[in-house]
Amino acid sequence: MRQRVLVSSVVGVALVIAALDATFGVPTTRLRVALALLGALGVAALGGLSVARTRRDHPLVTRVLVTVVVVVIALVATARLSSNVDTDVAIGAAMTIVLLGLSFLTGSSGQISLGNGAFMGVGAFTVAIWANHHATSPLILVLVLAVAAGAAVGFLLGLPATRLRGPYLAGMTLAFAVAFGAVLNVFGSWTGGDSGLQLPNAENAPRWLVHLYPASTASLSVNSVWLAALSVVSAGVALLLMANLFASRFGRAMRLVRDNDVAAELVGISLPRARVVAFVVSAAYAALGGALWTVVNNAVTPSTYGLALSITILSLVVIGGIGTIPGAIIGGLIYAFANSLIGWITTHTGLNPQGNVASQLNGIIFGVLLVATIVFAPMGISGALRRLWAHRSR
Amino acid sequence: MIGVSGLSVSYGAVQALRDVSFSAAPGKITTVLGANGAGKTTLLRTISGLVRPRAGEVTLEGDRITGTHAEDIVRRGVGHVPEGRGVIAEFTVEENLRLGSLIVRRSRAERQAAFERLYGQFPVLGERRRQSAGTLSGGERQMLAMARALVAEPRVLLLDEPSLGLAPLVTAELMSTISQLCATTGLTVILVEQNAKSALRIADQAVVLYIGRVVADDRAEVVAADERLRQYYLGLVE
Repeated sequence: MRQRVLVSSVVGVALVIAALDATFGVPTTRLRVALALLGALGVAALGGLSVARTRRDHPLVTRVLVTVVVVVIALVATARLSSNVDTDVAIGAAMTIVLLGLSFLTGSSGQISLGNGAFMGVGAFTVAIWANHHATSPLILVLVLAVAAGAAVGFLLGLPATRLRGPYLAGMTLAFAVAFGAVLNVFGSWTGGDSGLQLPNAENAPRWLVHLYPASTASLSVNSVWLAALSVVSAGVALLLMANLFASRFGRAMRLVRDNDVAAELVGISLPRARVVAFVVSAAYAALGGALWTVVNNAVTPSTYGLALSITILSLVVIGGIGTIPGAIIGGLIYAFANSLIGWITTHTGLNPQGNVASQLNGIIFGVLLVATIVFAPMGISGALRRLWAHRSR
Repeated sequence: MIGVSGLSVSYGAVQALRDVSFSAAPGKITTVLGANGAGKTTLLRTISGLVRPRAGEVTLEGDRITGTHAEDIVRRGVGHVPEGRGVIAEFTVEENLRLGSLIVRRSRAERQAAFERLYGQFPVLGERRRQSAGTLSGGERQMLAMARALVAEPRVLLLDEPSLGLAPLVTAELMSTISQLCATTGLTVILVEQNAKSALRIADQAVVLYIGRVVADDRAEVVAADERLRQYYLGLVE
């Protein structure tokens, strides 16, 4: 029974992809095969989910399958979208990682941070500075370094955070966000001051991917597919780790730290240690997101990592739903497509794209969304969806 | 066995405990009684390391535990069920119990065996193991909080007003559970209560606090029979 469902779903997907190809025309057979395989993987995972009823018995299997489904959908999409949209996806997937980190800090341990934009900056500049001194380092090493740097800074900031609560903690992280730009300037010879840094060589698609794409396609678009895939897969790994963390002993302990810190101490949790670890995780996630931004943009500027970014991150966590994984994905998607939305608004309203209003549209959109979320969906979009779902299935 | 000697605690200028001394024996229930603000909760919080005393010490089986961190005191076998219980409403009964086993390294089978033992002691929890704690009644939540403290197999159990907000019938049931638990496991139980009548019914020893001082420390029946204590400190006037 189980096998029959699996086989039929795989065949089904292959057929769907073939039909899509016939409609839109995929340039090469190789790419078509690759997409079909990817789609089959996704549907196999879906089939496994629906058949196995693993949710309770094998939560880990469920999490892996769900992640595979989400990642495959994103990968199939990036292989077929225009390079502009691919860049948006790459940026949004990196933002999802950042949101996961802050969601863990705020949703699980109950701490608040206005400094996660600056933590992103730590990762972003780590990549740029390292690449400018060691141009040939493999990408994975550079990303790991950025995560380590973020974790280290998170640790330093987490130490005083153990003694601060609520608005005082917000104030301290705010100070970090504000000081970050000034610190970058002080080390101008390393960080390039106000103008930031360029990467010495752009991150190019590996040869196997170039082979999949027809020679006639501009190399730019292969590269943006590659960057989007890189970001999406990183986000998938981050997502899976976070889902396991949420469900782990430590994750459950953190819930008690948030809800009732006295009870947490009385079951033997060290509050300072738990709070520092939450900060480290959150900062490491933010740094990975920032590192990916540098790789995708091929450059880094300090003005990107100002206070506004930190506030945007916090708003997106609230809009998506604090402490939930779907919430982080929703927030990432909103961030990814805010730019397209702004483009659409400017072309349809005749607004000057270089004008004052257009440059502030980002803040206006997130602000309106934030207010709307707080009024209509206090648990965030993911919370509202969950309630809708519970209501319908009743 | 818990020994408290010469314990003084202050919050800033306010002195919450003054030179408090008593001891609690294993297999016995020692109840600490007194009005609001007598220092009962402070006493428990000091024993479990949440509050540092200004003077005096607490000993566990003769070893001094004052000055150690709360999480170390839990590890050494002091379970504390705080006022208000502190269970997580969205977690299931069993997930709440698992929070109690954070400090003990055990295999999955050993942990499950420990849970089954507790479900034997608290049958209601066994029936509702997959239900979220938010759906439990007040009495059931108190049982859950106690069971969570017992997962780590402590030698001492500190209970802070378990009867808070419970109906008289539920309180009576809870008290008999505590009494059985103590008799069968040889736990040292320190029971803080405002509800002096119910507490004295099951307690072996009673300590009465009044504005931070011990005004009586005697066998429970003696305290229960003392007209002066009943009138002035326990509010038990017929």
